[in-house]
Amino acid sequence: MTDELELLKKDWQKKEFNVPKLSYEDIHKMIWKKSSSIVKWILIISILEFVLPQLLYLLPSMREGMEIYKNIGVSKYLFGISILTYSVAIYFIFQFYRRFKEISVLDNSKNLMRKIIKTRRTVKHYVIFSLSMIMVTIIIMIIGVYLNDNIALAFPELKEGLKNVSQEKLKITVMLSIGIFGVILTLFMGGIYFLLYGLLLRKLKKNYSELRQLEI
Amino acid sequence: MNKELEHKFVTELQDNQNIVHKVCTLYTNDRDSHNDLFQEITIQLWKAYPKFRGDAKFSTWMYRVALNTAITLYRKNKKRIDTANYDSIIFKVKADEYDETEELQLKLMYKAVKQLGDVDKALVFLYLEDKNYTEISDTLGISEVNARVKMNRIKTKLKTILNP
Repeated sequence: MTDELELLKKDWQKKEFNVPKLSYEDIHKMIWKKSSSIVKWILIISILEFVLPQLLYLLPSMREGMEIYKNIGVSKYLFGISILTYSVAIYFIFQFYRRFKEISVLDNSKNLMRKIIKTRRTVKHYVIFSLSMIMVTIIIMIIGVYLNDNIALAFPELKEGLKNVSQEKLKITVMLSIGIFGVILTLFMGGIYFLLYGLLLRKLKKNYSELRQLEI
Repeated sequence: MNKELEHKFVTELQDNQNIVHKVCTLYTNDRDSHNDLFQEITIQLWKAYPKFRGDAKFSTWMYRVALNTAITLYRKNKKRIDTANYDSIIFKVKADEYDETEELQLKLMYKAVKQLGDVDKALVFLYLEDKNYTEISDTLGISEVNARVKMNRIKTKLKTILNP
């Protein structure tokens, strides 16, 4: 076997590979092309992760939602939560930027992989935090509805239609709808996130664990 | 200044492009992916070039960037084309230089190497390029002892592929 590998080595070194040699112009053109490395993709996806939830608030229906919060009487708690969310988001963006800057193609392979995984982990923690905050918001709303004495007031436009529905029934319906909506939203956002990164980093993780296993 | 750097870089890469072609050949299975990976390696080399101080040979510095791009940064093309044709073109063994047994052996060896995992290929590549174990361990970030152990395991693996 050793002999065969030596034979291969001899052949390999004198080999001129049977591929068209690139000219000066070919290479010159290449250096200005856009990279499509996974580091680039992590940056793009992460920016989306930070920005998209904020954009949700710009939707008119979300603003109407704010009215409902007020009517239910939970807006001051939700205001507190959004301050917390923004402070934590700023911390995560800073942390992400710092780790992202550390990624260098000149590192050895193991370090390079470790730093990419670390950077991605920052985004993962941020996403888990965001999703938890959505859940907390949902729970606060459900409690708000539960403690509210006249829930029909929260939906002024439906007042006529709700006249004949008992307070008890209405409360349960609203609480259930908010709960189901919250769970679906969380699962949906979490699902997209883990799918994206799972696909993107599958190869890297496999190679990293192979290099790391060597060190045990 | 920038034009000067650009010119220097392109010239050096053009002279050393064989190294990049070799990496691309090991890690891809068709001409399109080969070119795609070549381009990504070129972009990464160019981005890192301002940090290249000339304290090492340009080619030495290239190995690290090229391998890192191939095993870590590059996203594989999903489509898998029948590799047999492509490989037989690329790995054409010159018949007049070897006797028939050796020629067949080489063909099988190249095929076996292509079947290895990403990390194993990186080790074999550096080995074939006549890098010593210090360089191999530096490039991959593993200890020298582990690089040797790993290489021995790869040899066994290749043997199993060749003699199933």
